[in-house]
Amino acid sequence: MKIDCGHYPLMGGFDELLEAPGKPRDGAGGLCDFFAELPADELEARHRAVDAAIMAAGITFTVYSEAGNIDRTWPFDVVPRILPKAEWDRIEAGLKQRLAALNRFIDDIYHERNIIRDGVFPAEVLADSKNFREACIGANPPFDVWAHICGTDLVRDGDGTVYVLEDNLRVPSGVSYMLENRQLMKRLFPELFARYDVLPVDDYTAQLHDMLAALSPRAGERPEIAVLTPGIYNSAYFEHSYLAQQMGAHLVEGSDLVVLDDDCVYMKTIEGLTRLDVIYRRVDDEFIDPEVFRADSALGVPGLMRAWKQGKVGIANAPGSGVADDKVVYAYVPDMIRYYLGEEAILPNVPSYLCMNEAECEYVLANLDKLVVKPANESGGYGMLVGPKSTAEERAQFAELIRANPRNYMAQPTLSLSTVPTLCEDAIEPRHVDLRPFVLQSKDFYVTHGGLTRVALRRGSLVVNSSQGGGSKDTWIVQGSTPC
Amino acid sequence: MLARVAENLYWMARYLERAEDTARLVNATTLMLMDMPRGASFGWEGLLKVVGLDEAFHRLYDEASETAVMSFLIQDERNPSSIFTCVRHARENTRTFREVLPRESWEWVNELYLYASTHMAHALDRRKRLEVLTEIIRRRQAVVGLLAGTMSRDEAFQFMRLGRNVERADMTTRVLDVSYAINLPYQNSQYYDIVWMSVLHALSAHQMYRRHVGVRATGHKVLAFLLNDVQFPRSVRHCLHEIQSALDELPGAEPMRCLQGMLSLVEGADFRTLAGRGLHEFCDDIQARLADLNEVISRTYFRAAHPQKMTQTLFSLV
Repeated sequence: MKIDCGHYPLMGGFDELLEAPGKPRDGAGGLCDFFAELPADELEARHRAVDAAIMAAGITFTVYSEAGNIDRTWPFDVVPRILPKAEWDRIEAGLKQRLAALNRFIDDIYHERNIIRDGVFPAEVLADSKNFREACIGANPPFDVWAHICGTDLVRDGDGTVYVLEDNLRVPSGVSYMLENRQLMKRLFPELFARYDVLPVDDYTAQLHDMLAALSPRAGERPEIAVLTPGIYNSAYFEHSYLAQQMGAHLVEGSDLVVLDDDCVYMKTIEGLTRLDVIYRRVDDEFIDPEVFRADSALGVPGLMRAWKQGKVGIANAPGSGVADDKVVYAYVPDMIRYYLGEEAILPNVPSYLCMNEAECEYVLANLDKLVVKPANESGGYGMLVGPKSTAEERAQFAELIRANPRNYMAQPTLSLSTVPTLCEDAIEPRHVDLRPFVLQSKDFYVTHGGLTRVALRRGSLVVNSSQGGGSKDTWIVQGSTPC
Repeated sequence: MLARVAENLYWMARYLERAEDTARLVNATTLMLMDMPRGASFGWEGLLKVVGLDEAFHRLYDEASETAVMSFLIQDERNPSSIFTCVRHARENTRTFREVLPRESWEWVNELYLYASTHMAHALDRRKRLEVLTEIIRRRQAVVGLLAGTMSRDEAFQFMRLGRNVERADMTTRVLDVSYAINLPYQNSQYYDIVWMSVLHALSAHQMYRRHVGVRATGHKVLAFLLNDVQFPRSVRHCLHEIQSALDELPGAEPMRCLQGMLSLVEGADFRTLAGRGLHEFCDDIQARLADLNEVISRTYFRAAHPQKMTQTLFSLV
């Protein structure tokens, strides 16, 4: 098999590498030439080598199914996705702007609620929020920042516009795959990196470490930092252990920690108890402290909220951050940016219809076959209706769900997501992609160079979630438009 | 260092050591078999006793035939000490502390597991057995070498060193004890040398014995070599010294006290007498003390991990 960009069957939408068959976009020419020159058997050999490398590295994620949990290896596609640096700079600025506003919003919601008083954000949305945490009212995390790590999902529509699809502020995952993908590409195509100035991505873990260290309640050179994981059976366990390893942090489970009467958090070590300064938690809010949230949780640490509210431990993301990770709240982010920062949003939202507003709800119900309907609080692509691919029965079912609980639903037009050439069974075919960059904020901001490009491996499919058969690609932010 | 992580490191090292030791033992036995008179009924039962799994075996199989015993020791997942089970446990443990080891460690342990899961069945066939098990040993040794060459001598390293040497000392006394018992009937026959040589083979000790002791495998000299040699890495005394240096780097005094008694016992033994009688009791004593040491190590370092729950155990040995 050969990757021949000249005979690549474009799908009609926006392709990230090609303007037209045989006509690469800015920056993609070198890549197309490289693949055109690569003998077919060579490509296959390298592809096999990379599969073996993924197997060996044990880069896996777990899929929950009725038949039990399956550890699947990470599906990786060899054709990278390219974005020119100039375009990326604008996206990066947009991502920082967005997270800054979201953090102002969260802090406001747990304090004065000016945004509601000033009539910019409706009180009833907050009243129905599933991720608002009463226990967080009045808390003052360092720098007034709550969401320290944000995985923002971006998509590109047919006309080339990049939209924000959602803000993942709870426990966004995928960054380790972004890092692994680059490692794999370097192993697979070292000579390609000689032709391009690809911005490196492996700075992320050092940046993550510094961001977390800034949350330490104790002054000192080496704060004790831990990644709190639900354990080995969690779907993102690979990532938890990977990040802990890369940061030189501890990887802990709830049972490794204890909060004593002094309200400090301690790790159970071979020498007894050692104080812990910062927790990068990958456990959902509801499970982190059985004293405050779900009493039946065995994943958390009794007393953790106490310790956090007194400033004895830093927690990222702060409990309660999820209040801004809600598909209805999402629709108000451009207003938040205007309200808190006095700026216009650099990155637009996908047009959204909120079912809580009667007129919009009527429109949604009348156009279910054209829209994508999403529940406000689900993640991972669960509980969605993709109108154009749905049956009449499914639509009727969703109409009922929406009428029963309009606040919980919003809808968006079906975008024709952009495509990237992808190595399929026996040909190179276009497949739809999205992009999840990771944004950090504590003392400073940091945005990954690129992010995780997720690809819907089934032809025509728009679902990129790894739990639902998605794969991934390396993402290149390329300096200068013409490669050497 | 987290108590839970320390415990997993300790057991990961024990599992890997056991997998390798069992592979060596099976290889040596397979080779020795070829030297025995054809009519001689080989004691497969004896091999099961060496690893302390005879009872477990008979709960699952009727007759101790070569096929059954090999399958049980090499690949049977119902046997908690089969080579494959040990490798699988080691891999599962490694997953829980990837962050404390050099990055490639996980990959190599994982590759060892992947190799084992696809090749173990071939090892049932005598013709392929040597090759497959040698590859298991090679891959395990690669992990050991990787850690030796790239890992700081931190607490994590010391816990693995503890686990490895507790396991190895235990295996050495077991092989000695049982091989001796099996070989007793041949004491005064033409196979006498072969018998002691086979003990050395089972512990991969024959070459170093020849080099440092002599060509002839004499009972008391073999015993002194395997129990009390300071330089041979599989001798009990050497293992105890390794444990001693690991404990030196760790907090807590109780394990060290426990070790001292065992060291004096080995150093003070009279090997000429032991070659004639009392070896079984002697080995039993060492094994009981190793089990005590394991218990003290758990109590001292791992207890914080789960105050009520039992610590991990392999049912046959500790």
